[in-house]
Amino acid sequence: MTPREDALTQGWHHRHLLDVDMLSASDIDLVMRTAVEMKEILGRPIPKVPTLRGTQVTILFYEASTRTRVSFEVAAKNLSADVVNIAASSSSVTKGESLVDTIRTVEALGADMIVMRHARSGAPYLAAQVFSGHVLNGGDGWHAHPTQALLDLFTLRDRLPGGKVAGRKIVILGDILHSRVARSNIWTLTTMGADLWLCGPPTLLRGLERWAGALPSNRRLTVTTDLRAALRGAHAVMALRLQQERMAGGLLPSLREYSLRYGLTATTLRWARADALVMHPGPMNEGVEIGPEIAAFERSVVTDQVANGVAVRMALLYLIAGSGPIEGGETHG
Amino acid sequence: MTARQIMTTDDLRRAVVRISHEIVEKHGGTDRLAIVGIQRRGVPLAHRIADAIGQHEGVRPPVGALDITFYRDDLSMVAHQPIVKGTDLPFDVNVLTIVIVDDVLYTGRTARAAMDALMDFGRPSAIRLAVLVDRGHRELPIRADHVGKNVPTSRDEIVRVHVVEFDGVDEVLLDRLPTTEAKA
Amino acid sequence: MAETPRPGERVERFEVEDAWLVDPVNGLEGRGSLRVEGGRIVTVEWAGEPSGGAAAHEPPRTEPRPERPTVIVAPAFVDLHVHLRQPGREDAETVATGLAAAAHGGFGTVCAMANTTPAIDSTGLVEAVQELARASGSPVRLFTYGATSAGRAGQTLSQMGEMADAGAIGFSDDGSPVADASLFRNALAYAGALGRMLVEHPEDPALTKGAEANEGLVATILGLKGWPAAGEESAVARDLAILADVVASYPASAAPHLHLTHLSTAGSIDLVRRAKAAGLPVTCDVTPHHLALHEGWVAGDRRFAWEAADALWVGGRADAAPYDQSTRVNPPLRTPADALALWSGLRDGTVDAIVTDHAPHTQVDKLVEYGDAANGISGIETACSLVLAGVEAGLLPLRDAIRALTLGPRRVLGSVVATGRRGASESLVPGLVEGAAANLVVIDTADGWDVTPETLRSKGKNSPLLGRRLRGRVLATLVDGRFAYAELGGVEAALAAAAG
Ligand SMILES: [Zn+2]
Repeated sequence: MTPREDALTQGWHHRHLLDVDMLSASDIDLVMRTAVEMKEILGRPIPKVPTLRGTQVTILFYEASTRTRVSFEVAAKNLSADVVNIAASSSSVTKGESLVDTIRTVEALGADMIVMRHARSGAPYLAAQVFSGHVLNGGDGWHAHPTQALLDLFTLRDRLPGGKVAGRKIVILGDILHSRVARSNIWTLTTMGADLWLCGPPTLLRGLERWAGALPSNRRLTVTTDLRAALRGAHAVMALRLQQERMAGGLLPSLREYSLRYGLTATTLRWARADALVMHPGPMNEGVEIGPEIAAFERSVVTDQVANGVAVRMALLYLIAGSGPIEGGETHG
Repeated sequence: MTARQIMTTDDLRRAVVRISHEIVEKHGGTDRLAIVGIQRRGVPLAHRIADAIGQHEGVRPPVGALDITFYRDDLSMVAHQPIVKGTDLPFDVNVLTIVIVDDVLYTGRTARAAMDALMDFGRPSAIRLAVLVDRGHRELPIRADHVGKNVPTSRDEIVRVHVVEFDGVDEVLLDRLPTTEAKA
Repeated sequence: MAETPRPGERVERFEVEDAWLVDPVNGLEGRGSLRVEGGRIVTVEWAGEPSGGAAAHEPPRTEPRPERPTVIVAPAFVDLHVHLRQPGREDAETVATGLAAAAHGGFGTVCAMANTTPAIDSTGLVEAVQELARASGSPVRLFTYGATSAGRAGQTLSQMGEMADAGAIGFSDDGSPVADASLFRNALAYAGALGRMLVEHPEDPALTKGAEANEGLVATILGLKGWPAAGEESAVARDLAILADVVASYPASAAPHLHLTHLSTAGSIDLVRRAKAAGLPVTCDVTPHHLALHEGWVAGDRRFAWEAADALWVGGRADAAPYDQSTRVNPPLRTPADALALWSGLRDGTVDAIVTDHAPHTQVDKLVEYGDAANGISGIETACSLVLAGVEAGLLPLRDAIRALTLGPRRVLGSVVATGRRGASESLVPGLVEGAAANLVVIDTADGWDVTPETLRSKGKNSPLLGRRLRGRVLATLVDGRFAYAELGGVEAALAAAAG
């Protein structure tokens, strides 16, 4: 291998995947390119490679989430990793064991990588502080959901005409305030040059205009409560799940009123471009944030998102696994 | 640091032509034959071998590209994950004789990984190995069926294969491994 | 000094030559020398005419700062707000370790909050804490607050009269506000009639429920539940409205005194500024961490507030990892603009004192998810350095900074400390007075010190400044003619370095 080619292989420098705000445009490109290769593997008769043989991936979820957990599990198994699943309800985490103790136990049991989901923003940083391996954030509080944002980007690049998000108007609709999916998408989509709009009722947009105003001018982010203005000319619309708790918290009068004013329906979608894509990170509340006629609509890429999720998570597991501090040369021969 | 040229442009061209004849001879023709280059420099070499076969046999065998990154057994030992360059096998590998082409044969680990990768696509009737340079120091019981040039080396040397497609020139250099550089 | 003096040892002979002397009582500062013998200040010699006098509050200096010696001698500091955790959380701090930490920070007097376990809400507990201070052997003077409400439960008044008789210098439910406005009104009047201040932690619990970090750019980006400025300012406004009501509607002898502690927003400072202008009996304080740090520290930004004000962190890599639990504090670290407003409150006299709100915690309570981490910073040892950093940056004249650490809090305490059961003490006159008991702090501003778990005397290692080298090293703290803290050979070495 020549020095020039050697330099090409030094592409990934992140020991953990805690947030997407650390990723440069070229980091994101590398994830996308690697995910394309992973998608090729998924198309094979036996969608499995031995890449992470002998690597123990512990999936530590403090919040219930079938789809993300299963997606990570399938991704890890496709790379031949050994997968250990720890769900909060079935472990000592409910008996008051601290996160730090749990991480140390998981490490003693041989984990090389931890995929973590937690209800508290920042919890994966605490795990990364005490764990000697790699931590992948599978969603923390309201803060970040890096793999979701990257699979959303992968899906957009796959399905948007021209294969790029730069200059495209993309709308995230709904409960932005409490959404880690929205926060991570704000980073990835503005990094890649999208014209990003956030839209929802005012109580669910608190603080976001301040963020938009503080961003450098090369990041385009607009915050509005006006659904029609947000959707006008949009290339893609991502509806977010609306949680029942928002009513109890006094943030919204009712689900009904929300769906009337901010639901994505065949009628409201007409304000967007005729070929606008419809996205949703799932699980969907059909009839609340998204009309049933839209959920199953031909321009809905929701099932693409699920399928791409496996490829993107394989790419990230692969890249992160090789980002260790271990010194040593290429033994390609 | 002085690099010594061990194969010239002409040497390289002649080696490719010779290997192409050997392949046809050993296989007994071009029927059910496919050439697969290992990413990266094996790929242009595979195309040249296929072109040469096409010229002297009148039939150009299909060519594929194989990225063996996911099959390497040393991923836990490298500081950064290699960038994946892509696998493209535009044919069904079942019942074909597949000739794997790589630039340098060294420890044998790449060839082993390539065989594992091919097996995941089906059951070829035979797999053969063609390399431009065999530099010795095998760590696995693997040998090449077709060799452009045998080059005795020491472990602190590096064989640099340059091809026009990536390097602007066809040649092979023997160089000394700087202490900080990876083994090739 | 050939040997490091023991804490509590009487100061037989102690001399500081050619230092920068600051005397807040007389409003003087200048080059000079000072000698202590037999525990008393025997000579204070000014080299030339000291500057100062009447103008206690001056606008920020614009002309170049006059050359001054790097060793500063001032009265030992007074801290109106510390948490010593005893009784109940001796794993986090004890009275003895807390007083040692205070001495290391340059403080000769501290006032302990009542939110221990159990809360200090009876005479027995007030006296027990005083006894712990005596038993510690530290000369640092400890005063105690009593809780405002019984058990700090916010339902009924505590045994205020009895605790006042036992020496409680004021009342506070600090850690929480007195959320019930009616109880707050009664407490203010009742404490006033006892000649005691009510120290209030202003917070509207409805607006701060579950809050994790200042509601602003950083909390929005990090996905932390916002702690709005209005959650403090609406409480300050309520407290001031009720104070005005007590002044107007209760007997004049009730003479309420409201002290608002750890104000952290520009809006709070404005409200107090207007209340003072209207003549209301209100005083207030701010903390060094709200003066020098800012919300960006939660994201890993490690610049001081005045360095970050023009270039806010807006995401991405910072100096340190985000979500450092040692930055979690109540009230939260605010914006750099808020911090600058606190400095301006100090400059114009709106803010009476700097207090540390020293809040030691164990690692068990801190090394958890950010939102679950205990609130508070172990800050009494870094206070002096943070305040001097602001002085160095030109935010406040040195004389006013020293005043806010000495005479300012002394005046907030008022006459109560002279009439309590423990009686008056010369150590509470924050001046450099010949004949008075030595009550001094000596600081080397040329040298720094490394903040590490080992250098902190407090049991609480919960400081976001860990690992950092800070300018402004306390060389000695003298209280009532005794050594509270002294660094081996430190004073001589610093003076020699300054002279060389
Ligand atoms: Zn407080």
